[in-house]
Amino acid sequence: MSVEVEVDESDLAEMVEQVWESYLDPEGVSPLIPTYDENQPSEVHSSVSITGSWTGHVVYASSRAAAQRAAAAFLAMELEEVSEEDISDTLGELANIVGGNVKAMLPPGAQLSLPQVNLSPEASARFPNTQRISGVYGVWEGEPVSISMWQSSTDNKEEGA
Amino acid sequence: MKILIADDSRVMRQIVVRTLRQAGFGDHDLIEAADGKEALDMATAQKPDLVISDWNMPHLTGIEVLRQLRAAGNNVKFGFVTSECTPEMKTAAEASGSAFFIVKPFTAERFDEVFAPILG
Repeated sequence: MSVEVEVDESDLAEMVEQVWESYLDPEGVSPLIPTYDENQPSEVHSSVSITGSWTGHVVYASSRAAAQRAAAAFLAMELEEVSEEDISDTLGELANIVGGNVKAMLPPGAQLSLPQVNLSPEASARFPNTQRISGVYGVWEGEPVSISMWQSSTDNKEEGA
Repeated sequence: MKILIADDSRVMRQIVVRTLRQAGFGDHDLIEAADGKEALDMATAQKPDLVISDWNMPHLTGIEVLRQLRAAGNNVKFGFVTSECTPEMKTAAEASGSAFFIVKPFTAERFDEVFAPILG
């Protein structure tokens, strides 16, 4: 059964800030600047599913350029050295980090899946019977990045994706 | 010292390695395992002095690796670096003999705080 989740936008924003401070912007020179635009475009995304005390998905979505930049920061590489696999692994880890932090704020009894990565737009992702309950939307060095939470409206019932 | 880093994410293994270096522990012998099964095998065969493990991994989770090591009488110093940190997980980790619990995202300062007493 899903419960009313008590992870709001300020909680998500704090997690995002920690990820930027630790890995994406350790110098503190290029933070994620909020746009509050939940319809901003994305080109790639990753997600983790949470089931149990809360059921839904935590989704990281960005432009391909932002994903490439994130991979370069994660792997301490030059932008042009970043491979498709680097982008995919980095996106997976970003979803995992935020998802894990979300899970820690949920009531006991939540399970976190391994991350799924999809190098296609968030809009093409299929999370049937879910609704967006929270999200942080911004631009990072001019490129769109978002982290959002989607709650399943059908408790623990898996619908074919 | 030999340090085994177990994480199914290649990116996170690299970040752990880099953060160990930033925290001044780069001179140790660092070896890597890409899932729980490999971590168990390497921890048994290669006898590391320290295991830094993710929690959520394919084949065997980090806590299962720790429990299997302890059940086999292996008392290697073992702890977790994970994005998940619930009170139940911490309790389970400590009950199984985990020495530390580091939450992702982490900084070099956090690594120094945890590993300085262990690695000197």
